[in-house]
Amino acid sequence: MSEAPAVVVEGLVKSYGDLRAVDGVSFEVAPGTIFAFLGPNGAGKTTTIEILEGFRQRDQGRVVVLGFDPADEATSRRLRERLGVVLQELAVEPYLSVRRVLMRHAGFFPHPRPVEEVLELVGMSDKARARVKTLSGGQQRRLDLALGIIGDPELLILDEPTTGFDPAARRGAWELIQALGERGTTVILTTHYMDEAEALASRVAVISGGRIVAEGPPESLGGRDRGSCQIRFRLPVGTAVTDLPVEASEAAGGGIEIRTLEEVPVLARLTNWALEHQVPLLGLTVERLTLEDVYLRLVGDDHGDAARGAR
Amino acid sequence: MTSTGQLRRFRGFDDLRLVGSQVFYEQLSFWLNPFGAVFTVGFAVVFLVLLGATAGNSRVAQFGNIREIQYYVPGFLAYGVMATCFNTLSVSLVARRENGLLKRLRLSPLPSWMMLAGVTGSAFVICTVQVALLLLIGRLGYGVVLPHNFPALLVALLVGVVCFTALGVATSTLVPNQDAAAPIIAIVFFVLLFLSGLWYPLPPHSALVKISGFFPFHHMITACFAPFDTQPGASAWAWHDLLIIAIWGVVGVVVAVRRWRWAPRR
Repeated sequence: MSEAPAVVVEGLVKSYGDLRAVDGVSFEVAPGTIFAFLGPNGAGKTTTIEILEGFRQRDQGRVVVLGFDPADEATSRRLRERLGVVLQELAVEPYLSVRRVLMRHAGFFPHPRPVEEVLELVGMSDKARARVKTLSGGQQRRLDLALGIIGDPELLILDEPTTGFDPAARRGAWELIQALGERGTTVILTTHYMDEAEALASRVAVISGGRIVAEGPPESLGGRDRGSCQIRFRLPVGTAVTDLPVEASEAAGGGIEIRTLEEVPVLARLTNWALEHQVPLLGLTVERLTLEDVYLRLVGDDHGDAARGAR
Repeated sequence: MTSTGQLRRFRGFDDLRLVGSQVFYEQLSFWLNPFGAVFTVGFAVVFLVLLGATAGNSRVAQFGNIREIQYYVPGFLAYGVMATCFNTLSVSLVARRENGLLKRLRLSPLPSWMMLAGVTGSAFVICTVQVALLLLIGRLGYGVVLPHNFPALLVALLVGVVCFTALGVATSTLVPNQDAAAPIIAIVFFVLLFLSGLWYPLPPHSALVKISGFFPFHHMITACFAPFDTQPGASAWAWHDLLIIAIWGVVGVVVAVRRWRWAPRR
C-alpha cells in the first residue's frame, strides 16, 4: 500500500437535528480494492457515502476522495468525472431508450467507455432499444449499474447494488464488480448480504449507531480467524471451567464457550476428558461462526430504523 | 444552484456542445412524453382552432374593431410560452426531484448550470415550434395579419421564456410532492390565465385589469399583442409589460436559488 489511499475519512460527524447519524467515523480505502460497508438501515451507511459523493455536507471531520475534498464545489466536476455512483431507487428518463440514456450519460465524462461495451457488460445488449419505462425492476437496476460504470470511473460507489436481483443476475453483477476490481477500479459498496461482502470485499467495515464497530478483512472480522468454530455446552454443578483440558470461557447465560479453528483435536481432547471423568457435556453444540454471526454480534441491539422510528 | 466556480471552469467549445446535447435530450424527453407534448402544444393549437371557429367574424371594440381571432393569436403565443415554461416545466421538475432524476444528475459531472441551460434551451425550441404552428394556423386558417415587427415579438418571447422558466423553477420548489404538483400548479396557472385576458379582452379600467396587472401573465399577452401593430399609434415594443415580466423573473430566480433542492426532503 505505497500508493495514496483512494478514500480517507477521519473523524466524520453528521447530525440531523438531535440525531448524530454519523458519529466519528474513520476509515481508509486503498486504491484498487473493494471495500464493503455493512450495517442496519439507518446506521449511517448512506449518509457516509453521500458525504463521499459530495451530495451531503459533513459537520466535522476530514474527507479526501481521489485527492479531492468532495465538499468543494470548485473541484466537484473534476472529482465526479472520476467517480461512478449507483444508488438505490433513482429514476431514469422514462421515455428515452436504454441506449440514449447511456449515450447522454457518457457525454458527461471526458473518457467514457463505449456504450455497446457497457450494454454487453451488464447483459442488456438485447434491451438497448427498449424504453426505460418498459424495463423490469431487475433490468432497471442493471441499467443503474451501467450508468455507474459508463464514465470508466476510478472509484465506484455502489449502494446495495444487487438488492432485487435474481440469483443469476446477482452472480453476473458480482462477476462484473470483481472484474472492475481486478482492472484497478476502487469499489465501495454497501450491502445487507453477508455472502456478497464475503465474495467481493477485501475489507469490510461494520457501522452501527453512526460508529464503525469493526473493520478488517471479512475472514478475520470480529475475531472470526481466532475462532471460526464455536463449541458450546454446559457443565454440571461441581465442575469448573478451569477443570477442562482445553482453553474455554464462560459465556453469557452460564454456559461454556470455546472458539477454535481446530475443532477436531479440541473436541477429541474434550470428549476423552469427559468420558474419563464421567462428566456430561450438557447441550453440546458445534457451530461454525459465519460472517452473519459476527455481524449480528457486532450490531447487537441496533435493529435499525424499525426500532428507532424511520427517519 | 449554479456556482460561479463552475462557470469559471468553462471548457469552451466542448462545453457548448455538451449544452447543445442537453437541449437535444430534453427535446427527446419532451416529445416522447405524450403528456408534455399533447397538453402543452396540442392544447394551444386545439383552443386556437376552436376559438377561431366560434368567433367567426366577431370584432373587439376596445382594440379598434380588430377581429377576435387577431386578438387570440398573440394570446396563444403567450399561452404557449407560459404553459411550456411555467406549467409543464414546474410539474416535470417536481417529478424529477421526487423520483431521483435530479439527484442522479447532481451526482454526475454535468454542471448544474448546464442542466438548467438545457432545460431553458429546450423550452425555447418548444416555444418556437408552437409560435410557428400558431402563426401558420392563424394565417392560413383564419387570415390573421402576421406580426409587423418580428424583432419585437422575438424579444418578447425570449424575455418570456427566461422569466417564466425562472418562475417555473421557483414554483417547483414550493410544491412539496409529486401527487400535489399537477393539480396545484394547474389551478394556479389557469386561475391566473383566466384573470389575464387570454379568453376575452379585459374590460379597460376594471378591477380585473388592476388585479391581473400585478401578475406577469396579462403582461405577457400584451407583450405578444403589441408586435402585431394592429393599434394605430401604439408601439410594437411593450417595454412596460416586459419590465414587469422581468421583475417577476428576478423574483423567480431569487426563490429558485434559495429554495432549490436536488432530492426529496427526508
